[in-house]
Amino acid sequence: MASEDLFRNEYSEEPDLGQDIRKDEEMNIETAEHDTNDVEQATGQNSTNSSPNVDLPAATSPAQTKPNAVTNGNKPSEHEHDAKLTQLPMARIRNIMKLDPDLQIASNEAVFAVTKAVELFIESLAREAYTYTAQAKKKTIQKRDVDLAISAVDSLMFLDGALNF
Amino acid sequence: MVERIEDLNLPNAVIARLIKEALPEGSNVSKEARAAIAKAASVFAIFITSSSTALAHKQNHRTITAKDILQTLNELDFESFVPSLTQDLEVYRKMVKDKKESKANNKKDVSAGDAAASSSSAAVAADNEDAT
Repeated sequence: MASEDLFRNEYSEEPDLGQDIRKDEEMNIETAEHDTNDVEQATGQNSTNSSPNVDLPAATSPAQTKPNAVTNGNKPSEHEHDAKLTQLPMARIRNIMKLDPDLQIASNEAVFAVTKAVELFIESLAREAYTYTAQAKKKTIQKRDVDLAISAVDSLMFLDGALNF
Repeated sequence: MVERIEDLNLPNAVIARLIKEALPEGSNVSKEARAAIAKAASVFAIFITSSSTALAHKQNHRTITAKDILQTLNELDFESFVPSLTQDLEVYRKMVKDKKESKANNKKDVSAGDAAASSSSAAVAADNEDAT
């Protein structure tokens, strides 16, 4: 009983003394994987964060991506493909666009715009479907979630019936 | 043109990565759901194209441009895509311009040079295709 109280008191003074103890603990954990410098920076920046290793990968990943003239001003989501602006192949998108019999000429910029739009579309459809996955307290998106998203969102009406394969 | 029907499918690995990027950590996608999203993406591409083609024809344009695509997206309730796309287009235009210039000055940067060489030759091929 008495020892428990003491123990609590020790940790209730955390803002002053406890921080140093925790810092040491964190350093011990982190030195196994990272530079002590990194850890010190991380703990210094947000000492209230009990797990600085969450921040570290985010801090190191931009450094890993090589600065490239092509990717200047690029979005972080594309850092895996330094030389490419699109993740989907533009040639494939052009082939799909050519299925339209009325299409005569599509400028390269138009193909690029469609490619990017399709990428955004995939991301937003996935997010929309995931709301139904989360509602069902699940972690894995099922086809049913995609169908629900499509029938719920007006702008996705064009997909109605297109996916029944 | 299209030789095999698979040439119209979008690459699965890229689709999977795009979906994963959009979702919170720890979430997953079933195979069927991923296939459905991939198919939806292809249909979306056709949908946007045919709407843009109709728009261009209305204005007596033979070539569909990025502007047509953006206008179409606005009309079809995908206006949320437009700001990000406009930004990307600027980067793309700059890249094409830089590529032309660096091609004239010979290739300097090795890593950028490789990518530039392959994609610019693709772009040239596409231009030739357009012209015919």
